[in-house]
Amino acid sequence: MSRRSAGLLLVPGIALLAFGFVFPVCAMLLAPPEGDAAGVAGRLGGMLTDGYVLSIALRTVRIGLITMLASLLLGFPVAYAISRAPARRAGVLLALSTFPLLLSTVVRTYSWLVILGRNGLLSGVLTGLGITAHPPQLLYTETAIVLGLVQLFTPLMILSCYGSLSQVDSRLEEAARGLGASSGRAFRLVVLPMALPGVAVGSTLVFAGAVTAFTTPMLLGGTRQRTLATLLYDYASVSLDWTSASAVAVFMTMIVLAVGVLTGRVGASRLGARRARKVPPATAGAAGEGAV
Amino acid sequence: MRRRPLLTALCALAYLFMLGPILLVVAVAFSGGDTIHFPPEGLSLKWFGKALSQHSFTSALGTSVLVATGATLLALLVGVPLALAVQRGRLPGRRVIEALCLSPIVVPELVVGLALYQQLMVGLRVTALGTLMIGHAVLLIPYAVRVTGASLAMADPMLEEAARGLGAGPVTAFFRVTLPVLAPGILSAGLLSFITSFNNVPLSLLLTGPGTTTLPVEMLHYVEFSFDPVVAAVSTLLLALTVAVAVVTERLIGFNKVFGR
Amino acid sequence: MVNPVELDGVTREFGGVTAVQDLDLTVPEGKFTALLGPSGCGKTTTLRMIAGYLAPTRGRILLDGAEATRLPPERRNLGMVFQSYALFPHLTVAKNVAFGLRMRKAGREETRRRVGEALELVGLSHLAERRPRELSGGQQQRVALARAIVIRPSVLLLDEPLSNLDARLRVQMRQELLNVQRETGVTAVLVTHDQDEALELADLMVILRDGRLEQLGHPRDVFPAPASRFVAEFLGYENFLTVPGHGPVTIRPEYVRVLAAGEEPPGGTLLSGTAARVTYRGTDCLVAVRAGDQTVLGTTAAEIRPGDEVRVLLPGDRLIHLPENAPVPATAGDTR
Ligand SMILES: Nc1ncnc2c1ncn2[C@@H]1O[C@H](COP(=O)(O)OP(=O)(O)OP(=O)(O)O)[C@@H](O)[C@H]1O
Ligand SMILES: [Mg+2]
Repeated sequence: MSRRSAGLLLVPGIALLAFGFVFPVCAMLLAPPEGDAAGVAGRLGGMLTDGYVLSIALRTVRIGLITMLASLLLGFPVAYAISRAPARRAGVLLALSTFPLLLSTVVRTYSWLVILGRNGLLSGVLTGLGITAHPPQLLYTETAIVLGLVQLFTPLMILSCYGSLSQVDSRLEEAARGLGASSGRAFRLVVLPMALPGVAVGSTLVFAGAVTAFTTPMLLGGTRQRTLATLLYDYASVSLDWTSASAVAVFMTMIVLAVGVLTGRVGASRLGARRARKVPPATAGAAGEGAV
Repeated sequence: MRRRPLLTALCALAYLFMLGPILLVVAVAFSGGDTIHFPPEGLSLKWFGKALSQHSFTSALGTSVLVATGATLLALLVGVPLALAVQRGRLPGRRVIEALCLSPIVVPELVVGLALYQQLMVGLRVTALGTLMIGHAVLLIPYAVRVTGASLAMADPMLEEAARGLGAGPVTAFFRVTLPVLAPGILSAGLLSFITSFNNVPLSLLLTGPGTTTLPVEMLHYVEFSFDPVVAAVSTLLLALTVAVAVVTERLIGFNKVFGR
Repeated sequence: MVNPVELDGVTREFGGVTAVQDLDLTVPEGKFTALLGPSGCGKTTTLRMIAGYLAPTRGRILLDGAEATRLPPERRNLGMVFQSYALFPHLTVAKNVAFGLRMRKAGREETRRRVGEALELVGLSHLAERRPRELSGGQQQRVALARAIVIRPSVLLLDEPLSNLDARLRVQMRQELLNVQRETGVTAVLVTHDQDEALELADLMVILRDGRLEQLGHPRDVFPAPASRFVAEFLGYENFLTVPGHGPVTIRPEYVRVLAAGEEPPGGTLLSGTAARVTYRGTDCLVAVRAGDQTVLGTTAAEIRPGDEVRVLLPGDRLIHLPENAPVPATAGDTR
């Protein structure tokens, strides 16, 4: 392929990206309707000293971290089991953990209304057993949001971890055991270090996804437990305060980028730059990633 | 393989957590009561009837299908050439172009939605439907480029040369050899893109206008204001549809080939 | 007579690297030409320039006497067999073979007949409806060959076609390749780094070194008379000696006789030394002899042990004189 024809092939794609992404995102920051870049920056500065917004930001990050840890605790063992299962069973297990990603986040989050709602499963169990007298307030709590997000993101974590665990030849583990390591030590000394790139990628994706998630905090947190995403939505569509909405947008983007850069760095220094750089494109392509 | 009871138990717990709640939705959908209640009060199909007859849902479904189809086609139409140019073009600054193609993933979708709403819908007066399609296409370009790029990287670059040597011009070689070899990859990218677009909420949220709402956003708004199980019925229908897609995919290409990795 | 391929001062540079330099080459019609040389010497680059996938930086390429330097590959009518075979995975064997005919808009009946003939020639008629991935390596290689010859190319180009096959199959496929070439009478240019392959197949052997022509000629002329130490080493000569009265020479170990003490020497140059290493080879023994500051490899039928005092006989008619450091610029030899 000549350079010129290759250049021509780029034109429509670049044009669409420029018109539908680069231009609007830049323009929003530089010149929001009824405002200007200085206004956005000023509002952002104000938010960083505003207790209300800061507490929401803090909650958002907290939710992101807990979600990340919980989905790692749930997802890693599954990924490990899949990587060690015979091919047929591994295929089924893999499909079962991929399937939820194909389902709308609204549907998946709705299921928590059934569990946590006033007349839901859990409240029925608790009152039925006489643990609580009245249906307890389970919805619109931070826990509810975390539960919903963990359910949402565990599949993504499984796929990321599986991405690097499947590269670990099971014979390596056997070799370590043959050299005298107990199964626990073989796992810790051989499997875990090789799985780290996938864990890093998965954790980054899940954290970023949880911090920017909208559907779940909207349905399970409501107006009582705002996150940055629902706050942004409020500014943009309820109070129509574009400058504040843009400021929150910048804030949210910065958090996500900072974490991405951070794990990129940590990964690179810990695992040798080459390997860490190679992992993300291969594993970051899961169905429906982050689309919450 | 050795038995590992702890590992098995952890896995069972994880799958229960991921899949169990979805089944509860199905149970509630067949409820005879007027609120979300578990266990369901009685058995009926009335919520399915209501879901299918409610205009706001059916018209939102139409919009969603239209947007997902349009955006998928648009993304493939520009994304496949992008992947080709990046993989085979020996272009200077190839990394930069690649990064640009993947960049929509980095910015939170809600933020992209906000930007598109402000600049395209309000600023340039693009219609809601047009903005939705453009936004979704932008969101899908990374998938199209990456999945097609991966199958392009796997394909033998000599194939095109072989075709040329046998007398095919560059265009004929592309349509007779390169494209058919890439077809499974493109199909995967298309399916993945369609589903991603169809389910999207954060990007669509701010881009909906009167009469132009996507189904997930419509469901979300409905749940905000009303507590009856009609959304459970819609969810169950979507679940059935997704299972059908998964089964067909498994039969035709292999589920894990398309959606797993 | 018009030559199917002529290279005239062809040079190809990649950035700062010169892959092929000032190459003049005439490929004789109906013959088997082998481009031979170590890895990186520019064989593939040369072949790809002939096929039209690469343009020369300087120089001209003539095909059948006509200027073709800038002609795109699809208008050269050459048949190429790739090292990876490059079979179209989405097409059956028959459709792979038919591809070139389709591009030439051959009629349906003619296509069917010629595809059938080509598959018969390579012995694959029974696999016509299979897909490439359902074939073994050797079968794929035959399909690639059939696909290249079915278009009746003016030249058949082969880039290390046998290197992906296991050793046995490689030797067997060499003969088949030769049969196909002889049967169709097609002019063939083969790239290889395997001197046995070149010796067995080639009518004209072209040895390249760092992008330049080192020596060329019929194997029967080149093998017994390497023009430089480089060619000699490449052809498997192992003794590089300075012999009193002869200067720098080379000789194959099988012509060097190692004589045990007391054995009567026939005529020839004698060196004496110590047996350093003895390797049993079934019919004879290979002995490495330290003679002064040189090591000579020779053979013997006698009982010799490491450490024994021996003499080495170098028959004068087997010694090949090597010009020191000055590779002889070769000219086209006769190609029998
Ligand atoms: N596309 C390219 N870009 C830069 N350098 C190249 C390119 N193709 C070949 N070269 C260089 O040109 C020289 C000759 O390469 P070529 O592939 O022709 O060697 P070869 O004789 O076919 O070797 P081999 O036996 O390993 O296949 C090498 O030094 C190689 O590194
Ligand atoms: Mg080569």
